[in-house]
Amino acid sequence: MLSNLDLKLIRDLGRMKGQAVAVSLVMACGLAMLVMSRSLIRSFEETRSEYYESHRFAHLFAHLKRAPAAIAAQVAAIPGVSTVQPGISVQVTLDIPGLDEPASGLVRSLPEFAPPELNRLFLRAGDWLTPGGRGEVLVGEAFAEANQLRPGDSVTMLLNGRLQGFKIKGIVLSPEFIFESRPGAALPDNRTYGIFWMNYEPLARAFDLYGAFNHLALRLDAGAEEQGVIAAIDRLLIPYGGQGAYGRADHPSHIRLSDEIRVLATLSIGFPTVFLSVAAFMTNAMISRLLSLQREQIAILKAFGFRNGQIIAHYLKFALLLVGTAVCVGTLGGIGLGHRLVVMYRIFFRFPSLEFQLDRSTLWIALAVGTGAALVGVLGAVRRAARIPPAEAMRPEPPSSYRPSVVERTGVGNLLPNTFRISIRNLERKPMQALFTVAGLALSTGILIIPNALRDSVAEVLEFEWDVVQREDINVGLLEPWDETVIHTLRQLPGVVSIEPFRGTAVRILHGHHRRQLSLRGMASGGIHDRVVDARNREIPLPEDGLVVSSKLAEILEARPGDLLRVEVLEGRRRTFDVRLTGLSEDMAGMSARMERRALNRLLGEGDMVNGASFTVDHALWVPFLHALKRVPRVSWVAVKESLRENFRKTTAASINLIQSIYMVFAIVVAFGVVYNKARISLAERGRELATLRVIGFSEREVATVLILELVMLSAMAVPAGLLLGTGFATGIIHSVNTETVRLPLMLTAGNYTFAVLVVTVASGLSMMVVVRALRQLDLVGALKAPE
Amino acid sequence: MTNAPTQPAAVDVARQVFQARGLTKVYGTGTAEVRALDGVNLDLPEGELVVLLGPSGSGKTTLLNMLGGLDIPTDGTLLYRDFNLAEAGEEERTLYRREHVGFVFQFYNLIPSLTARENVALITEIAPDPMSPEEALGLVQLKGRLDHFPAQLSGGEQQRVAIARAIAKRPAVLLCDEPTGALDVRTGIAVLEAIEQVNRQLGTLTVIITHNAVMADMADRVIHFSDGRVHDTQRNHRRAPVSTLRW
Repeated sequence: MLSNLDLKLIRDLGRMKGQAVAVSLVMACGLAMLVMSRSLIRSFEETRSEYYESHRFAHLFAHLKRAPAAIAAQVAAIPGVSTVQPGISVQVTLDIPGLDEPASGLVRSLPEFAPPELNRLFLRAGDWLTPGGRGEVLVGEAFAEANQLRPGDSVTMLLNGRLQGFKIKGIVLSPEFIFESRPGAALPDNRTYGIFWMNYEPLARAFDLYGAFNHLALRLDAGAEEQGVIAAIDRLLIPYGGQGAYGRADHPSHIRLSDEIRVLATLSIGFPTVFLSVAAFMTNAMISRLLSLQREQIAILKAFGFRNGQIIAHYLKFALLLVGTAVCVGTLGGIGLGHRLVVMYRIFFRFPSLEFQLDRSTLWIALAVGTGAALVGVLGAVRRAARIPPAEAMRPEPPSSYRPSVVERTGVGNLLPNTFRISIRNLERKPMQALFTVAGLALSTGILIIPNALRDSVAEVLEFEWDVVQREDINVGLLEPWDETVIHTLRQLPGVVSIEPFRGTAVRILHGHHRRQLSLRGMASGGIHDRVVDARNREIPLPEDGLVVSSKLAEILEARPGDLLRVEVLEGRRRTFDVRLTGLSEDMAGMSARMERRALNRLLGEGDMVNGASFTVDHALWVPFLHALKRVPRVSWVAVKESLRENFRKTTAASINLIQSIYMVFAIVVAFGVVYNKARISLAERGRELATLRVIGFSEREVATVLILELVMLSAMAVPAGLLLGTGFATGIIHSVNTETVRLPLMLTAGNYTFAVLVVTVASGLSMMVVVRALRQLDLVGALKAPE
Repeated sequence: MTNAPTQPAAVDVARQVFQARGLTKVYGTGTAEVRALDGVNLDLPEGELVVLLGPSGSGKTTLLNMLGGLDIPTDGTLLYRDFNLAEAGEEERTLYRREHVGFVFQFYNLIPSLTARENVALITEIAPDPMSPEEALGLVQLKGRLDHFPAQLSGGEQQRVAIARAIAKRPAVLLCDEPTGALDVRTGIAVLEAIEQVNRQLGTLTVIITHNAVMADMADRVIHFSDGRVHDTQRNHRRAPVSTLRW
């Protein structure tokens, strides 16, 4: 049975329901973010570790040119290695029915008569390969989905220069390709790049690798020292063209997922903190107001013999009811958002099953954090109120003291109308109330900047990187380096307008104790396709004998132009040479190192070779060009700029739209809530004053102006602060995605700022209107009676 | 404002400012029905100082609210000159209050964030033909406290600022609701002197409602209220000087 004090609590809450809802919703936004991000982290971590274990994801990986099968046994003998899985991994191009351009893919071998020891596949549909079967292939789910391939369909692959037809036996997933994308790509491009698995023998025979392997996966004993094992493997594989073993920390799919988890972890701390601080203040303002309204009631309760503790507990219950509501709404909201985000994540991250798993411990954290925020907000106010002796509390509060505001003291005062003075002096008298209203509005303005900054940055990448820098239509890679005559063959393809050959080679670049493995591209100086530009968009000429690298790579290597870099070539004659760093290029995806092609070939000592070319193609002959390209032997991969761009656009647009809708809801809730709370409190505190103005002849509109003017002044302070805050948020977030795989340029446009200001203005404007309507209910006659 | 009144050109004692006929105000319905005013007939001419006396609930405040345009009657007519207040809309009544009525309240109702001068200026900014704030405050002997905030003024001083605010627009009627209710005797006398002086100097029809029967002596006319009706009217042939009043 409810005590009468509790009954009073419920009725008080009923009277302040608008404010209670506003406070709870702001708190709920923070908690929803907390529940969502922590639960997603848990979903990812648990799903991933379960998947890794059940499908025996390897600890180490190595690519090499070719090694006899017996070498695998030597690798297995390295101390710390528990299991070795040798195999074949090759790049191919494919002819997919319905797709004009050739797709590219990675084909992996599978042991013929036993399931693989490591990196086991998960069969989503169809069947496993027939032991000893030929002409069969398994396809990664992302590519199959994007191209609507089903078991029983056929694909044509160009294997080492020979076109072969394959029947799709099954659709599969692999722990190695949770993030299924081209090497170095930040976003998946599932329509034109896929992963395939074939029986060992047919693949090995097609690439003259029978009895050998060119790829290794390993698992380590518990407690084995990874770096030691990597060094031992590298030593062992050097004669076989080993390109350097690496662990999970350098595994592209693993990194990409870990990056996402890291972003979620940042979200789970940053946003809830800010939202909850604002909510804590709103609670404080609301309860302080309630307390001063109920001064006499407190006095009477105390006069009747209620202890301070009971009174404090009574008002804390009030705050806790708000927290309880916020935790419920926030948890439900967090679960809802989490489910929607999981649907989006399934596009990027392929698990046998990725389900939203509520992190129940978060509910306790949410409760604790919410309660903490409310307690911080309430405790001081309640204790102050409880401390007043009953006799004093029964008298009305003494009139508030005011003084001319700073603005007036500067001398501008005489120009101000009196209604403006009322507003400005009120703001100055309650600086904390003003500050937190400004903070809340600034916060909502700020968070609105983020999604559009991401959108603009991505658009900039799409336009700048793929229109200004890369002017070719298509890049084509060859299976092996070839002499320049191949260019003449390629030039004969229908519709070729221009062609620029390049020579790429796997290298390790070293500077001091820093090193990175990547592909060094030799290209013609002054080419018009793949332009090398610096931070100011100026073209960097490739010198006769110098190296130009991505500024991100230079940063990692701690190298500056003028430094000598050591380049170890990881293929062919495996030469090592020192070359001067002559320039830093700005690029947004992956890391590049580029030289003049002939200079590179001189250093490689292999004559004038090319292993790929970029093309511009007459658009009228685009389809015939692509069809002809599918038939060119020796092509190992193809990248069509427009497809990459289109895929990039689609995937980013979907996810940015989702993020934007979430942030927008949050921003509107906060803007509306903060303004509503502030206006309600002003109305309650100054109802008598505003009613007096009405009585002495001010119209409703004129009285509303006093209230609105205050809010407008607060907004005027909040909006620039919010734009600044948003700039900070966006800078922080965009810098946090400044990784080796992708770098977004920070784009902050007037359109973005305008949108944020507009949304916040409309939200707070609506909120003001709701409160101004309440002005009509002012009790003019009542206000003339005894003060409160 | 369709039938809005105009400012009188000159004070004419014979002219009626208010004429109430059958003025009735009923709050609530059924068993909860309260007849706050029950068919009041009343004429209030220019320049008169009227004291409305009566116990709590007698209807005097309800009448004051009607005269001030804060409330409308349930029945009957109420003319301010030739303007029918009983049928005026919200906007018209706001304009009526702005231009013609000065209010003085028991608890002063000053805007705490404005100084004495600014509280008065608030009205002079919106009224058609106001006196200057300094002049209004001079009339209530507060010239030395122009730039003080309400919190820096005594109760009596605050009430005098309220009177200055009420008269600065040169209203046709000054309505005072228990103007000394929150003040001690000495301060109360000073406030009443200010009101009396305004009435005398500006010829403003002044209506004071009070519980305090002593104040009857300062009036031209005393109207006794009970049960929502005019119970009795008494005319003083000579107004007693405020300084002689004691309670």
